[in-house]
Amino acid sequence: MVRRKGVNWWLTALLAACSLTVLVPLYFTVVTALKQPAELAGAGFDLPDDPQWGNFAEAWRLTNYPQAALNSALITVGAVLLTLLTNSLVAYAIARNLHSRVFRGLYFYFVSALFVPFPIIMLPVIKQTSALGLDNQLGLIFLYVVYGLAFNIFLYVGYIKSIPRSLEEAARTDGAGTWTVFWRVIFPLLAPMNATVGILTFLWAWNDFLLPLVVLSSPSARTLPLVQYVFQNQFSSDYTTAFASYLMALAPALLVYLFAQRWVISGVLRGAVK
Amino acid sequence: MTRTARAFYWMVIPALVLFAVFHTLPVLQGFYYSLTDSPGYGAHAFVGLRNYLNLLRDDRVLDAYVFTFQFAIVATVLTNAIALAIALGLNARIRLRTTLRGVFFIPNVLAILIVGYIFNYLFANALPAVAQALGITALSSNILVNPDLAWLGIVVVAVWQAVAFNVIIYLAGLQTIPGDVREAATVDGAGAWRQFRSIVFPLIAPFFTINMVLSLKNFLQVFDHIVALTNGGPGTATTSVSLLIYQGGLEGGEYAYQTANAVVYFLVIVAVSVFQLRVLQRREMSA
Amino acid sequence: MKPTALALSVVLLAGGCGAQAGDGRVELEFFQFKPEAIETFDRIIEEFERGHPHIDVTQNHMPTAENAIRTRLVKNDIPDVIALNGNGVFGELASAGVFHDFSGAPAARGVSPPIQRILDDLGVHREGEVNGLPFASNTSGVIYNKDLFRQHGVEPPRTWTELRAAAETFRSAGVDPFYLTPADAWTTLPAFNALAANLPPPDFFDRREAGRVTFAQAYPPVVSKLGELFRYGQRDRLSRGYDDGNQAFAQGKAAMYLQGSFALPAIKQFEPDFELGTFALPATDDPEATRLVSGVDVALTMGREPEHPEESMAFISYLMRPEVMEAYAEEQLAVPPTEGGTSTDPALAGVMPYFERGLLTGYADHRIPLTIQLEQHLQQYVIDGDQDAFLRTLDAEWDKVAARRS
Repeated sequence: MVRRKGVNWWLTALLAACSLTVLVPLYFTVVTALKQPAELAGAGFDLPDDPQWGNFAEAWRLTNYPQAALNSALITVGAVLLTLLTNSLVAYAIARNLHSRVFRGLYFYFVSALFVPFPIIMLPVIKQTSALGLDNQLGLIFLYVVYGLAFNIFLYVGYIKSIPRSLEEAARTDGAGTWTVFWRVIFPLLAPMNATVGILTFLWAWNDFLLPLVVLSSPSARTLPLVQYVFQNQFSSDYTTAFASYLMALAPALLVYLFAQRWVISGVLRGAVK
Repeated sequence: MTRTARAFYWMVIPALVLFAVFHTLPVLQGFYYSLTDSPGYGAHAFVGLRNYLNLLRDDRVLDAYVFTFQFAIVATVLTNAIALAIALGLNARIRLRTTLRGVFFIPNVLAILIVGYIFNYLFANALPAVAQALGITALSSNILVNPDLAWLGIVVVAVWQAVAFNVIIYLAGLQTIPGDVREAATVDGAGAWRQFRSIVFPLIAPFFTINMVLSLKNFLQVFDHIVALTNGGPGTATTSVSLLIYQGGLEGGEYAYQTANAVVYFLVIVAVSVFQLRVLQRREMSA
Repeated sequence: MKPTALALSVVLLAGGCGAQAGDGRVELEFFQFKPEAIETFDRIIEEFERGHPHIDVTQNHMPTAENAIRTRLVKNDIPDVIALNGNGVFGELASAGVFHDFSGAPAARGVSPPIQRILDDLGVHREGEVNGLPFASNTSGVIYNKDLFRQHGVEPPRTWTELRAAAETFRSAGVDPFYLTPADAWTTLPAFNALAANLPPPDFFDRREAGRVTFAQAYPPVVSKLGELFRYGQRDRLSRGYDDGNQAFAQGKAAMYLQGSFALPAIKQFEPDFELGTFALPATDDPEATRLVSGVDVALTMGREPEHPEESMAFISYLMRPEVMEAYAEEQLAVPPTEGGTSTDPALAGVMPYFERGLLTGYADHRIPLTIQLEQHLQQYVIDGDQDAFLRTLDAEWDKVAARRS
């Protein structure tokens, strides 16, 4: 008999040890954010003597955290919602017409943009967004939705191809038009892939640095990563405040992830299988 | 045209127009600027291929390509080796699978720039202190200020972050393998390594291909990591192509020249990706 | 969806920049590059707004300001009032014709002509234009810890030999002679500039531009003396940056600090319990030959066609009032660029004689195109000490850039 359910404890321990490489830097961030500057000497892995919650207040005030967090949240939520609504629609039209030369051409046109490095378009995009008054949060949402097309169409088309057409045909015989079919039949069926695209768009928009750096003009529009960059030399050597600020910038995504962990991972898993 | 067909066209036309205006048009403008002497503002003149000819003579550009490739290749190999190993481990009979899987994915939800700042401090202060206590002289000073070692610091942060995503892709691949296939191999008494090479790896080869191509493509565009860790230094030891284009194009006021560099960079990335796909897909076929 | 869209439009409206507010108030964006002076400018702005209730000035500070200002130019979105360091980029932008012409403007009258000339020499759009106004001058050389000097019986050195002897005295007493911060590459520049201003022939850059001399021929003394200074630094110097340096020096961790006067307020922020002094870095053994490096620390300007010409000019005129310039200079330990302007701060007393006697010289690095990345190569040099490689790189980069721009 083969031992089917034997647990490999050695491997479990080894993997747990490996996971420390992820956890230790996070632990370090937390304890540093809670220390007094005088406690920073040495390696710094020890716990703070007397947790300095004031570091967070200081970072909150200095970087105007609520404003930056709100900007990041609006840009991310806006980008995710609009991406889901529009990119899936475009992908549907393409996926159902891949037999046509025009649509197959469109598919390759969008997907090939994956290989264009951002520096080529950087300055023209800066000029364009500014001329159109889009050098703000709205402009960023817009750019994430448009640039996301390349990868999202790739994901959605693969998924839609696997949805049997019979479902749509049934709806059509009931008199539904193409738009209705999409919103009523296809879009709900896309839910798993919507989760995948939503998660990937969320992580991209929330954590991005270069696009906000060059596109946003007004200081009041700055996102969380951008604020860390801008304040890097205002923190001076006040590392405890800096770490408090880093932690506050990382916290929202980390919290969302903690609560939606299984869902996030299964979403990404699904994206990979397609 | 039928009504259905017309609806399909209306679904793509707005996206097509926006994409053309905000992506394709800037690409074409970029190509155009690369043939001028524009600093990005004010008047400019058409200079033909002069920027491209000067690129060939600029050893700083060459250095940036060498650094970027060295970094990207090492980071791609390490990321995929580590991610595959972790994925195999997570797929074995272990306890706490879900928790461990959750932990390994954490770096992927964090902003690279901020992770870079945290590691910057770790490299400058914590690591040297630990190394001194343990008597490891090689690490007892900040590796980011050592021109020969700084790139390794960037590799560490890049791999730390990228492994998370690749683990998930490999897990997806491993789950497509039917259980009885693996079971049969175990019963056969095939060694673990032989089992991996002859049965598991061929089945997840497509996932390996996609991971290698995407990792290399992403690492070739490395930017945030370097801004947070070294800003291209010490000296110019860790100046990647993206950073050079950004710094030289904006700070140095040589926008047109660096845009020509970006065009070359684009061609390089396409060439490398196509080459990689060819080679890896041929291996998939023959495996 | 709806609440999101609503919240979004609220934020967008609130974030709209430089716009005319409904009640006739004008919002001005004041873009400035100096992290040390954020609070000082906040106070100046407050006072200005009290006298000009219809103008709202918002200060905008960005790291890597040169980069940020170029991005804004690409956007054709020039900040209303701009404060930049009087360096090579300023000259490049002025030559490109993006800045206003202040010639004949009343605000320009209070400035001492030789200091105005330093700024104009960096570059102007057309002959005779004035594309920026000097708001504060700085000096660059050596900052020292008067207590440590007194304790070890060291006088501020007046020659290179005395400087070396002072460093040796401190070293043998177990005190780090210099606190060095090359992790921020630009902090290698003050020492480089002092040596480059005093050792090679004064017409070096004109001759270099004409291709009649190379760095390899004229710069070996500069580079070897720079290397020598950097060998007298603290042990962990390679991992320390500007902010670390200001703090450490304020804590009395070294006797000397190779920095400009602009570092003084940053050091004072850490409340040193000793007195700060300054002296010009002596590059040779002839004390009479030493020239003090001085430049325009803050230059004010605005766009060529400003959106709010009157209000922007009103703010600039206010800043250029002698009493405002003097108050700023006092707080930031700068020298006001007014006719006969001096600083009474004891920290700057050591270098004031150079001002009085006119023994001043400009920043050598302003003559080297930014795209050469001098500071990056200097950083490399102070790490590896390879003098030949450094000079070779500098010449090669210079020639490449000259060829690209011809």
